[in-house]
Amino acid sequence: METAINIAYACKLISNEMKQFIISSETDVIREVEERGDQVELARVMKEEVKKELKKCLEEAQQYFNTLSGPKLALVIDGKCLMYALDPSLRVMLLNLSLNCNSVVCCRVSPLQKAQVTTLVKKGARKITLSIGDGANDVSMIQAAHVGVGISGLEGMQAVMASDFAIAQFRFLSDLLLVHGRWSYLRICKVVTYFFYKNLTFTLTQFWFTFQTGFSGQRFYDDWFQSLYNVMFTSLPVIIYGLLEKDVSASLSKKYPQLYMEGIRNSFFKWRVVAMWAFSAIYQSLIFYYFVTDSTSTGQNSSGKMFGLWDVSTVAFTCVVVTVNLRLLMMCNSMTRWHYISVGGSVLAWFVFVFVYSLIRENVLYVIYVIMSTFYFYLSFLLVPTVALLLDFIHQGIQRWFFPYDYQVVQEIHRNEPDGYLRAGGLEISNHLTPDEARSFAISQLPRETSKHTGFAFDSPGYESFFAAQQGVYVPQKAWDVVRRASMRSKAKAPLPPKR
Amino acid sequence: MSSTTAPSSSVAAGSADASGARRNSKRPKYSRFTQQELPACKPILTPGWVISAFILVSIVFIPIGVAALFASRDVVEIVKRYDTDCIPLSERNDKVKYIQSPGNKTCTRNITVTKHMKKPIYVYYQLDNFYQNHRRYVKSRNDAQLRSNGSSDDVSGCSPEDYSNGLVIVPCGLIAWSLFNDTYNFSRNNQQLSVNKRGISWKSDREHKFGKNVYPRNFQNGTLIGGAHLDDSIPLSDQEDLIVWMRTAALPTFRKLYGKIEQDLQENDVIEVTLENNYNTYSFNGKKKLVLSTTSWLGGKNDFLGIAYLTVGGFCLFLAMAFTLVYLVKPRQLGDPSYLSWNRTPGWR
Repeated sequence: METAINIAYACKLISNEMKQFIISSETDVIREVEERGDQVELARVMKEEVKKELKKCLEEAQQYFNTLSGPKLALVIDGKCLMYALDPSLRVMLLNLSLNCNSVVCCRVSPLQKAQVTTLVKKGARKITLSIGDGANDVSMIQAAHVGVGISGLEGMQAVMASDFAIAQFRFLSDLLLVHGRWSYLRICKVVTYFFYKNLTFTLTQFWFTFQTGFSGQRFYDDWFQSLYNVMFTSLPVIIYGLLEKDVSASLSKKYPQLYMEGIRNSFFKWRVVAMWAFSAIYQSLIFYYFVTDSTSTGQNSSGKMFGLWDVSTVAFTCVVVTVNLRLLMMCNSMTRWHYISVGGSVLAWFVFVFVYSLIRENVLYVIYVIMSTFYFYLSFLLVPTVALLLDFIHQGIQRWFFPYDYQVVQEIHRNEPDGYLRAGGLEISNHLTPDEARSFAISQLPRETSKHTGFAFDSPGYESFFAAQQGVYVPQKAWDVVRRASMRSKAKAPLPPKR
Repeated sequence: MSSTTAPSSSVAAGSADASGARRNSKRPKYSRFTQQELPACKPILTPGWVISAFILVSIVFIPIGVAALFASRDVVEIVKRYDTDCIPLSERNDKVKYIQSPGNKTCTRNITVTKHMKKPIYVYYQLDNFYQNHRRYVKSRNDAQLRSNGSSDDVSGCSPEDYSNGLVIVPCGLIAWSLFNDTYNFSRNNQQLSVNKRGISWKSDREHKFGKNVYPRNFQNGTLIGGAHLDDSIPLSDQEDLIVWMRTAALPTFRKLYGKIEQDLQENDVIEVTLENNYNTYSFNGKKKLVLSTTSWLGGKNDFLGIAYLTVGGFCLFLAMAFTLVYLVKPRQLGDPSYLSWNRTPGWR
């Protein structure tokens, strides 16, 4: 129990200001009963004790909770008491108490109890749970939680095989959650809403046409345009977006962990956000349809010839493709060259496709050449996407300035800082490591198999610089070490204590 | 799943440089793409950008709008509805019976030119409530048959106008069958104004869609006559009325080019139009109108583009001024930390 509390202090799970509730099976009362040896009696007594303790702690916790500026609470419970506390009759009390506490430390628990505690919180509190573990005894806990993270390493790969995410060191959990988890949430939200938006725009434009065909079901666009819309002309940009979008850089994500709350609050996928996208789609589809059909009701060019159905729909389709792709660029927070390539490539693919297709396909024969020979096409090509994007642009301008999201404020605060990708002669140094820390970190990355030593009580520069040099890690040699090695006959096999 | 585990295991390997061959490790090869460290442009939509964008749009759009509107205003257009007026008063109770009766249905109307019209003057016929964009109508044609003589027996899709008396119809389908057949003759001061009916269809249609050696065959031979008859000796690529008609229109109100008058018309000229009122639009409450129009570099008389450009340009200018005002009234420093939600709500933990 004490070890557990010490470890909890070490990883800052518990601090001195917190009020600790300790439910231990090492109390005098229980020891007395244990000595007597009667198992039934022991069970009953323990259950009574645990119940009493829980009740007491819970009442105290309620008191603290009612006063706003009370201290934070911590609960420490050991495996034996937990066994009785997870009993159906006491479970609810345990859950209530745990949820009121900032930290809960359970020590000496069996794998099954780990899973039981996780399930208790998962089902009872209806919150998203994450469990992390590195050994085979953590497997059931990892599988019981919503998100299971396994650490691969010394204890083998059992935890990794059972987990949803695998990391190599415990400290990578902060990266996993704050950086990649957050980006993943942002990307998924934006990709999903964008996907619905672009299909809604495309389909609604056709929908307005049905009112003017006598509801006969005539399609506005040519068949192949429709089929390839989602495959060729609008698919790649959103994939690139989903892979590479970053609202703030990795280091800023860790510096401002409160940004994680955006995900918890579900700020990017609320009904309000979805409704805004849908409204934008409806507005744009009206623009596409009515602007194009109203302006083609009279002759085109000085030759006075009239457009047919397929000419009008090709003009509208071109505007849809261009607008939808530009809309993606508008919602990017960081634009790499792949964004430009995919957006430009998609629009180019459309033009190349329609140039070739209109030479082959009978009903739209030469359509693109006909419309591109009129001034009208270029004027509407400029007008229609601009009007369609105007609403979104205004919305972004207002939202960004008057109702900014947290990540947008963080972006502005750090707008002048360059990206922190430093390259220093083969060794990459993260921003916050000192050179010494970086060196020892780099050394810790060296393979363990070739060395029998996993820890050093002495400073052994010979080992460091030899193996480090092999891996290309630059470690400056100490002067006396050079002298020492020069006086040695053979290669360094085992480090000698330094002669200071 | 794979996109999140790859970065996380690469994060594990992140900081130390890897020479994979020597290490025998499972660390994937480093690349800037997989580590998401590509150089990126991170645009921030500041008030400066917003206002500049609006001003740019208005600077570009307003002149274009003015040019387009002037072009449209220069066009003179005269529209004359004639379908009701061209039925003699006695027959107005049963118009369908009148139009389906055989015989001459000539009608004379007068058009007064309101403004000087420069040649060439385009003559259109406009139909209302005629759904050329109906699904079964649009597909009722066979493009292969129209294009080449070899496929003249291909009538798939043309039903019910595919066979007549056992023989194939060329051109088949409802679109060709319903060819418009009113004719117009113009005269001014008892002098005939010739109507040029060449070059009224798009060049690509004439050259590629309708074949030079495809001749009408067995056309309008059935019991139901839908429209005009075609001269069997003229190939389809020269039958410009047919070509214009077969480019199905997008909306139920449409106009199609009939011909060109290659003479100027002066103001207050009275044009006498002798028209043959043959086409039956009375069964479905359609309207027929005759349109005389000049054109500009942009096309016919359509104010839509000009007005749209001007409206958008003006609106953007207004927005630029409004945003400037709002940004001055309610300023916010760029990167003001007090806007962070955890700094705004007290008691944040």
